[in-house]
Amino acid sequence: MTAQMKTVAYDSGQAIPFVDSRIYSDRSIFEEELEKIWKKVWLATVHESELPEPLDFRTLTVAREPIVIVRGSDNIVRAFLNVCPHRGNLILRQPAGSLTVAEPSGNANHMTCMFHAWQFDCFGRCVDIPRAKAGYQERLKKEDVKLRQLPCEVAHGGFVWLSLDANPGPLSAYIGQAFDIMKQELDTEPLTVFHYHKAIIPSNYKLWHDTNSEFYHDYMHYFNRATSMQQKGYFERKYTAFPNGHCTVGSMEVKYDAYQGASDRVLSFPGMPRNGWKMVDLFPGATYNIRGSSLRVDTMTPLGADRVMIEFRGLGLKRDTPDEQAQRVRDHNTIWGPFGRNLHEDLLGITGQGVSMRPGSTPRHILHGRREDNTIHDEIGMRHFYGEWSRRMERSPSDPFLNAQVAAE
Amino acid sequence: MNVMAKPEPKSLERAIQDVIYRACLFLDEEKFSEWLGLCASDFKYRITTYSPEIRKQMTWYEQDISGLKGMIEMLPKHNTDHGRLTRHATNYAVELDPAQNEARATTSFACYRTMLDGINSHIDSGETQLFLIGKYYDRFRLGEEGPKFVERNVFLDTRRLDKGSHYPI
Repeated sequence: MTAQMKTVAYDSGQAIPFVDSRIYSDRSIFEEELEKIWKKVWLATVHESELPEPLDFRTLTVAREPIVIVRGSDNIVRAFLNVCPHRGNLILRQPAGSLTVAEPSGNANHMTCMFHAWQFDCFGRCVDIPRAKAGYQERLKKEDVKLRQLPCEVAHGGFVWLSLDANPGPLSAYIGQAFDIMKQELDTEPLTVFHYHKAIIPSNYKLWHDTNSEFYHDYMHYFNRATSMQQKGYFERKYTAFPNGHCTVGSMEVKYDAYQGASDRVLSFPGMPRNGWKMVDLFPGATYNIRGSSLRVDTMTPLGADRVMIEFRGLGLKRDTPDEQAQRVRDHNTIWGPFGRNLHEDLLGITGQGVSMRPGSTPRHILHGRREDNTIHDEIGMRHFYGEWSRRMERSPSDPFLNAQVAAE
Repeated sequence: MNVMAKPEPKSLERAIQDVIYRACLFLDEEKFSEWLGLCASDFKYRITTYSPEIRKQMTWYEQDISGLKGMIEMLPKHNTDHGRLTRHATNYAVELDPAQNEARATTSFACYRTMLDGINSHIDSGETQLFLIGKYYDRFRLGEEGPKFVERNVFLDTRRLDKGSHYPI
């Protein structure tokens, strides 16, 4: 860290910590974030229940890199770049499926590039290059062109974690103790996904994570004001910060029947009070959020300085009966579905921020200054995130271009 | 529904189509009480879709008539996108079941949003965007008061709803 940065270090004691709005709108900062953050860290992606059978696959994109996740014939989940090493075409094009289904250009049980019918097995090995010897003689063999495999682990409630960095270090070291608050709920027994939807919002990805990292915005939600803010225990909920930019929010007893038409939760997770509510926010853009009977997990795919895709999953226990799962679905969707009470309001919030922070708009201070002994309306969650952001970006979020200015001078 | 079935007599079919289209008009005008007036007391409303991502049928919203009334009463307490939704519906099929005193109908719809305050009202208000498309799968009870909705499954083809909505579709 430079001496100049020290003078403007974020959250170093100034009365009201703030960030410069250009961290949410500047295109060069966004590109740098992809390189220094999104291509370096471990990221939660799909859930293993989306690939229940051997040879099932899911496709996704991280930092513009197409990725395929495949459950191997040995039942191990692996991740590869979903890019043909021949001419760079996308290999698997559907969001999900099974390799057991033959493609027009290739055989069953393989990943086939439709362009020239190069085929790869579930371990990423190239198993067929049409007319290979005629075209390449001895200069190129199948063994030379396997798919690039990515570090990949199934962990923390059965999510598939991966990194674009070939050597990201252990996932356990990256997460540390951040999941301790939710370990029993997530890892006592298998979970399953019952809900998936996505939203593309004209706003910066960090603004969504900021929303997930502060509860002061409960003033926006009538549902939360009635069932939580006006209830005992709300203002005792505490944030706990963990290394690498993660934080958690402690539980409380939500009083659902304080909202017309809502009722106490009947189902829960192992170790979770029926009306409990706890959260884990993970750097740089994932959140696990349990409200009694349902777990919501948000994952983000930043698409530009002013565009983000957010994927929302709802999960329950794999052993649930159909009636139990239907109850979890109702509980989840009345608040968090695309027609739910809260999610629409949250998304309107960051949409409005996106309007005022378009690329090229006038820089302004965005306040992160509430200090309330780390309790629920303290903005420590955001400040902690930007501490890690600053470390990785080597920029101060409150003066992100200072280094560039100093270098220019 | 058997789309190859022989068309039923016009009068009852017309009456059912009329209820479907009146429901669209009431919803377009946000006359939710009038919409619910077309429904039987045991009416069930669902919004569903299929996710090719997780390869599962999903229910995104589910309420009975008292739940819908409660939802509508609570709308003023919630922040929301006030863009008006307009439904363009075409009824494709009506299948009568006189023995059960019921009928089923399949209606394709497109729902547009004419923007007001969802993004930047100065720039975007007045613009109409396609919000979602899908089909209404309706079940009616036939009685002296005319057909009444007893079930509506709003099956969505559109799965990316972005900000979403607080309003019934």
